[in-house]
Amino acid sequence: MNANSDNILEIDAVEVVYGGVIAALHDVSLNVPRGKVVALLGGNGAGKSTTLKAISTMLAAEQGKVTRGSITYDGTRVKDQNPTDMVRLGMVQVLEGRRCFGHLTVEENIIAGAYSRKLSKSDINDELEKVYGYFKPLRDKRKSQAGFTSGGEQQMVAVARAMMAKPKMLLLDEPSMGLAPQLVAEIFNIVNELNEKEGVSILLAEQNTNVALRNADYGYIIETGHVMLHGTAGDLLHDEKVKELYLGISKSGRKNFRDVLREESA
Amino acid sequence: MTEFLFFIEVVVSGLLAGTMYSLVALGFVLIYKASSTFNFAQGAMVFFAVLAFVGFMELGLPFIPAFFVAVLLMFFVGFCTERLVLKPLISQSEDTLLMATIGLGFVLEGLAQAAWGVEVRRLDLGIGDFPIQWIIDTAGLFISALDLTASLVAGILIIGLALLFKYTKMGLGLRAVADDPGAASSIGIPLNNIMLVVWSAAGVVALVAGMMWGARAGVQFALVDLALKALPVLIIGGFSSIPGAIVGGLIIGATEKVLEVYIGPFFGGAIEGWAPYVLAIFFLLYRPEGLFGEKIIRRV
Ligand SMILES: Nc1ncnc2c1ncn2[C@@H]1O[C@H](COP(=O)(O)OP(=O)(O)OP(=O)(O)O)[C@@H](O)[C@H]1O
Ligand SMILES: [Mg+2]
Repeated sequence: MNANSDNILEIDAVEVVYGGVIAALHDVSLNVPRGKVVALLGGNGAGKSTTLKAISTMLAAEQGKVTRGSITYDGTRVKDQNPTDMVRLGMVQVLEGRRCFGHLTVEENIIAGAYSRKLSKSDINDELEKVYGYFKPLRDKRKSQAGFTSGGEQQMVAVARAMMAKPKMLLLDEPSMGLAPQLVAEIFNIVNELNEKEGVSILLAEQNTNVALRNADYGYIIETGHVMLHGTAGDLLHDEKVKELYLGISKSGRKNFRDVLREESA
Repeated sequence: MTEFLFFIEVVVSGLLAGTMYSLVALGFVLIYKASSTFNFAQGAMVFFAVLAFVGFMELGLPFIPAFFVAVLLMFFVGFCTERLVLKPLISQSEDTLLMATIGLGFVLEGLAQAAWGVEVRRLDLGIGDFPIQWIIDTAGLFISALDLTASLVAGILIIGLALLFKYTKMGLGLRAVADDPGAASSIGIPLNNIMLVVWSAAGVVALVAGMMWGARAGVQFALVDLALKALPVLIIGGFSSIPGAIVGGLIIGATEKVLEVYIGPFFGGAIEGWAPYVLAIFFLLYRPEGLFGEKIIRRV
């Protein structure tokens, strides 16, 4: 495998354990093709955030560890790196729950995203202009304290901040969380624009299966640390089991893939 | 009129003494901002730093070189603290970190005494603790030269640090870490570098504070208890605010002096010792986040 591989990210049979005892991922394999948007879907506690943190090496700060399998990003085996190394390699995670720096202004938040780069004042201004071009509502809020802006604005700040690091790949953890449908659409539009115009590859974790699949090329569905199903976004959207379990078009009381598999084998 | 002049004089000398409290409090604020921990070792750092400085002078180094060697030593202490204490404890709870700073305090006290002995030393900065004639002539106020110099130095240091945090990249990084270390880490801000800078800065602040207090009261073990003097300042100003440390120190300094002079006699003097704590308790009851303490912004 090398940096020219068609996949910018390859995860192979990864197991993750927290605190040496709790296994959160058992066997997760997935690929993100270069320049594509891939959705990682699943309910609460399925292991979406854990997967993203394993990739960005943010796991270590929570006493989590990859105990089996391999993660290869852009030709580099991810193993002993720390988050700073990963950001320098062009991989940035936008954490679940937005996590803006509440006491900093919107603009300071965004500038902080360029921390890993050596930029002059005028470079920073150019980059800021570019970012405001994508996140238009933030321009008027630039002087506001980030903690007092709306949820949608904070989500924009979080993604804009990540873009300042000039990433090749973004890991987005539940960007739709707690936002009204209209705002969710707005955020996903921007994400798609970034993907198309900046060529950023994207892996996004979502509970909102419908919106995620409509905005992704490919999807993986995980439950309790196992990949249950994967396919192109179009196929998944029309898959009967996905419709039943994740898109709320339910015919029976079955709740997850395990139940389905059990019934089918019975 | 003389009554009023005297009052002004009391307030001014209180404010000047207050800048010294601000300086000690500043050391705490720096570390509290970066790791949300009350650094129990701050007093020991003050003692260690100034004792080292005096020790270097006794070895024959002139004032300026001795100062810079002491600064380098405090950088080194910051470096060792980051590598040997903080790094292994990363992702541990704030309580664990608190315990670690208590331990660090004992280590520094022990090291300082082992290296330089226990006797009280005089520190002569070449500035007398006597009133400045020029101010007596023009304003009719008796203001000590040492007080004035000390507050000038403290003021410059505090303003310098505040500007650094507001306008430099490192400062932005520190403020980001203060708000959310996890998010800061996720965008590539290296937490260990920030810790290194913060502990080094706190070390230099400790050195300057130690020199100012040492010049007044002698370089001695009692400096360790300066930490206790800073506590009411922090409660009034807020643990994470640099402006808070400044204003808190000034309030304590001025109140202490005014109470001492006007009310002290009724209590048989020595009111200075406990008045700041009474003030602090008042704040704890009515404004627990302090004057400038950042109200926790709830994430929506
Ligand atoms: N820091 C941690 N320590 C121990 N266990 C954890 C930790 N973080 C997550 N887990 C566990 O790992 C499993 C997967 O959690 P994870 O956060 O990855 O799920 P998720 O798919 O992101 O869920 P959600 O949609 O609720 O965010 C859960 O059982 C969770 O309890
Ligand atoms: Mg999650």
